[in-house]
Amino acid sequence: MSADDEHPDLAAMEQVQEPDLDRGPVEAWAAKMISNPDRAYRAMFYTATVFFLVTTLFPFYWLFMVAITPGRELSEVGALTPGGFDPTSFITIFTRLPFHRYVFNSFLIATVATVIVLFVASLAGYVFGRLRFRGKNALLLLVLVTSFFPPAAFFVPLNRLFNTQVAVLEPIMSEGTLYNTPYAIFIPVSAIFLPLSIFILMTFYSQIPDGLEDAARIEGTTRVGALFRVIVPLSAPGVATAGVLTFITVYNEYFFSSLMTDGRPENWAPMLEGILAFQGQYEVDFHLMAAASIVAVLPVAILVIVAQEKIVSGLTAGAVKE
Amino acid sequence: MAQVKLENVTKQYEDVTAVDDMNLEIKDGEFVTFVGPSGCGKSTTMETIAGLTIPTDGGVYIGNENVTRKPPKDRGISMVFQNIALFPHMDVYDNISFGLRLRKYDQEEIDQRVENAADVVQLEGMMDRMPEEMSGGQRQRVAIARAIVRNPRVFLMDEPLANLDAELRVHMRTQLQRLHRELDTTIIYVTHDQAQAMTMSDRIAVINSGELMQVDPPLTCYNEPNNLFVAGFIGSPSMNFVEGQITNSGFESEYMDLPFDPETQGVEPGQDVTLGIRPEDVYLEPTRNQAGTPSKTYDMVVDVLEPMGDEVFVFLLAERGIETSADEMGAGQLLMSVEPDADVQANQDKQIVIDRDRVHLFDSETEQAITHGLK
Repeated sequence: MSADDEHPDLAAMEQVQEPDLDRGPVEAWAAKMISNPDRAYRAMFYTATVFFLVTTLFPFYWLFMVAITPGRELSEVGALTPGGFDPTSFITIFTRLPFHRYVFNSFLIATVATVIVLFVASLAGYVFGRLRFRGKNALLLLVLVTSFFPPAAFFVPLNRLFNTQVAVLEPIMSEGTLYNTPYAIFIPVSAIFLPLSIFILMTFYSQIPDGLEDAARIEGTTRVGALFRVIVPLSAPGVATAGVLTFITVYNEYFFSSLMTDGRPENWAPMLEGILAFQGQYEVDFHLMAAASIVAVLPVAILVIVAQEKIVSGLTAGAVKE
Repeated sequence: MAQVKLENVTKQYEDVTAVDDMNLEIKDGEFVTFVGPSGCGKSTTMETIAGLTIPTDGGVYIGNENVTRKPPKDRGISMVFQNIALFPHMDVYDNISFGLRLRKYDQEEIDQRVENAADVVQLEGMMDRMPEEMSGGQRQRVAIARAIVRNPRVFLMDEPLANLDAELRVHMRTQLQRLHRELDTTIIYVTHDQAQAMTMSDRIAVINSGELMQVDPPLTCYNEPNNLFVAGFIGSPSMNFVEGQITNSGFESEYMDLPFDPETQGVEPGQDVTLGIRPEDVYLEPTRNQAGTPSKTYDMVVDVLEPMGDEVFVFLLAERGIETSADEMGAGQLLMSVEPDADVQANQDKQIVIDRDRVHLFDSETEQAITHGLK
């Protein structure tokens, strides 16, 4: 078969190189990318991945470096190298201060807040996602507006409220106030993070076919029973997403948790107060703060790894789920 | 097992009346089908019986007990849905036993009942399959098993066969009839498909725009429709309607007249009436003896033939050049069905007769039937 018989397009494809043009290395590289866009996409993917990995993981690496450097040699820490090796910081943080108690406080507050938020947001999400009634959109907007305020706007009234002595609380609470109790933390924090969860769950619950709820109600559940037996299990990715987002935010929350307690661990001071407690009046134990930070990340890291699969499908599949 | 009674049931949505003052009594053990075009309120009526919708007005009684305000779970009913509605996160056993487990039955009793129900719908050996691993027909059988396992007083079915393919639908139709015989439970069935309604039910309730048009056994609805709507809805292809007027000598219209004595038929000269005749009651002139009481002969032109195999539908025109429209049979058009071996060709001139015993007369204004068969 001679070249004349070939289809002109095929002939053009054969000629990868155009020898007449004298190209510089950049031009040649660009031409290669244009003729083979997959390479360009792959290159972009790796560039983006490396960028995100470095920006997210480098701080951890640096924390770790600082954490294993002995306190006296902190000035020796280089850009990439530790100033020495002394892993005892990871033990000192628990002996000098009850750092485990701070972590436990935050963990407990975050867990309780997550449970409350998921329960209330499930009921609200059901109402907004599945019922039709007058003024629904206005009400939903009102709920969402709460999350638009800066938390600081709520602080003064809440602080006054929680420092007010309530006679009913006196037998159970010290001094009859909510100040220095976990309630003073997770009540406002739950309220502030509730709208986001309501919104996530509303989207998921609205996509469960009506027939399934009707079937559950006929089989013997109430509306609420159908919600928790059928709608919630089928919306597991959405519930996991809302739950993990709430847990992480509350666990890392500092504003309310530091202001609603006096900073002592036995008064439910949170994990961040614990990290900052290694900052003395005359010296700052950066290595201990670094070690404490790494330890504090662990519970969240474990939670995310466990729930990862659900979260990913929750963030991506929500919109198209049947 | 129980009778069901609807008393002045009305359901109003903001600006639509879905069900309008409906009164209906369904006997114990009866198989009643709600049939009507989509959006006619038949599903809403069923939902009020199920308790998924609370009626705006009126009462629902199941077994003499007023259940109007009771939640669905306390009504002793079960339901099969159009979209089948198996719980996708549970296997077959969990789906079937869902209601029993909620009612805290003994494990032994649950196992026994699930086994029996699965036996009735032939689902043995599939207990640990997930719904997504099953075919449409199998899922439908699981849904039926879930409905029968609780021994409901009333069994509601909302278009249960609509999502199945044609072959399976016909098969399930006979299965449901056997099931009804076996269970002897009151069954209320909703469909828009009048073939399902005709074949399965003891009585059919024809519903249009939220109103009950007729409640009678299928053949009564077919042979003695109460009004124009039932006459047109029941039967496929639909009844021929000719709009005309009563004169002293009988029925007269633009293209067709039928002599009779108005007095004996209970009509008055000058009254606007619609004459109805089913396609199978129209005969070719040579076979006029097959008609019970043949009418006079009409001259027609064959327009189009639709051979169905066992019969041929023949579209006739009163004269050449009559305008035909795609969506309905207009004036001067008539549909007849003939034997497949009949000598009919398109564009032929043919003479036909109609069977006077099978002529229906309806008042054009009230749409109510006046007489079935000329006396």
